[in-house]
Amino acid sequence: MNEEILNGLADAVIAGDVEKAEKCAKDSISADMDAYTSIMEGCAKGMNVVSKKYECGETYVPEILCSAEAMNAAMDILKPHLKADATAVPKKIVLGVTKGDVHEIGKNLVKLMLEAAGFKVIDLGKDVPTEKFVAAVKEEDADICALSALMTTSMIFMPDVIREVKRVKPSIVTMVGGGPLSAATAETYGADGYAKDASVAVKVAKDLVRSV
Amino acid sequence: MFGLMTGQKIDRIPVSPFAMGYAAKVCGFSIGDFYANAKVNFRSQLMAADMHGYDSSPMYGYASIGAWEFGGKIGFPYEVGHGAPYVIEHPVETPEDVDRLEIPDPSRAGSNPISMEVAKQCNALGLPAVFQVGGFITFAGNIMEPARMLLWMIRKPELVHKVISKVLAFQKLTADWYIDTFGPEKCMVFSGGATESNKLISAKQFETFTLPNEIAINKYVLDKGIHSVLMHPCADQNANIPHYRKIREECGWRGRYVWNFGPETPLEKQIEMFGAHDIIGGNVDPPSFQTKSFDEVIMLCKDNIERGMKNPSGYILMPGCELPPLTPPINVHAMMTAARKFGSFE
Repeated sequence: MNEEILNGLADAVIAGDVEKAEKCAKDSISADMDAYTSIMEGCAKGMNVVSKKYECGETYVPEILCSAEAMNAAMDILKPHLKADATAVPKKIVLGVTKGDVHEIGKNLVKLMLEAAGFKVIDLGKDVPTEKFVAAVKEEDADICALSALMTTSMIFMPDVIREVKRVKPSIVTMVGGGPLSAATAETYGADGYAKDASVAVKVAKDLVRSV
Repeated sequence: MFGLMTGQKIDRIPVSPFAMGYAAKVCGFSIGDFYANAKVNFRSQLMAADMHGYDSSPMYGYASIGAWEFGGKIGFPYEVGHGAPYVIEHPVETPEDVDRLEIPDPSRAGSNPISMEVAKQCNALGLPAVFQVGGFITFAGNIMEPARMLLWMIRKPELVHKVISKVLAFQKLTADWYIDTFGPEKCMVFSGGATESNKLISAKQFETFTLPNEIAINKYVLDKGIHSVLMHPCADQNANIPHYRKIREECGWRGRYVWNFGPETPLEKQIEMFGAHDIIGGNVDPPSFQTKSFDEVIMLCKDNIERGMKNPSGYILMPGCELPPLTPPINVHAMMTAARKFGSFE
């Protein structure tokens, strides 16, 4: 029964089926299942499949946005039932699009994938100045600072952000991504990691956290 | 470039660096003024072309087209970090807004008056009067907010179709306005957009939402007598290429088309699909102009030239998108040097 519900949750997320996701989430509560398990073995499992399909070119952003709707609908039902001690302290990621840049589809996909993988994401949004990244890293005691840019005019702020967040927290790891970036540019900018798109961002983040 | 497009004998491959914000900066203007002021736009493009000796003529356009034209708000790129106009307010936020959306008067809509002013200055010098059509997914995304549009492509596809049909009607009116002002033989169409990228949508979604409209607008301008079209399928559109070919087939391969794909699309693939009829425009990796050295840019251009010159219908050295505004001028010189050294016909 429990496995059926978890598979149902995962399938609902993969299909972007909001009604089914809500029903499965409610069923899991009724069956007295652990909410954290439902999130990780149901919703997150489904989103991981979606992420892999995107990486392989088998699904696209419209479908991912539907999956996100389904996942969020289930999470809204499950979250109030999370036990305070049920999870380990999640790794914190400060995420944002650098100054001058208002393109945030890529950043929002990264956020979605990271949250599904269990990271706590502090989303600073778009057009974020260096000082705001620094303040957030300090205030949240973040583990990772992740920067996105879609324009060559805004990616130039990445070295400043990387330098400044490392100044306030030397142990922080940084990762960058976005259309005009490459692994070589990321290295030049002093980033610890580079994700070419949202589908690989989780792997890069996990590898970086493990390496610290 | 005009020589290549009109079938005249040329002594080297043309160079068109797709320089917009770069032209402003290298001439000492702000990028904000470049997009907000037709005189600055025209003059800086002309001066930069004259300084470097490249072959493109001025044109007005930007990727956020559509929002302002249909009643939303854009910001001009005056801040550090800005590279082009950006949308502040999308005219469609709710399903009800779609029905309320009116087809604007092209002579007063958004950036159209600025674009027309640039075209008039071009026309006065015998250069083509360029206007922007096509790119329906990009255009509609700017009207509806890209993520909302992408979600509605599945949840409320009829609303996306409805917006796109209004975009098509507006683009036809815009085409008429330019053709009536200059005559079709003096006009050139620019068509492109990045939201069509296969990083965002599938080839099937391209086929469903945009292909019929692309065929319609291309047929429309060709039937009106326009001969020159610059197609810029921005970013990774490899999966859409068969559909772009379908546009040309449906139009009987009429007109002189230039294809400027993103750097993700190999030149060989473009030659295979379009080379019997159409010119291929470069596609050197754009960020490399900003981040690499003079020697590295020369080598990237050399490789592109050697592969592109195999196109039987002609080749233009171009970046695969707009030249980064912060490109060091020496790397535009590298383009010119590579074209003279490796792209000469003498």
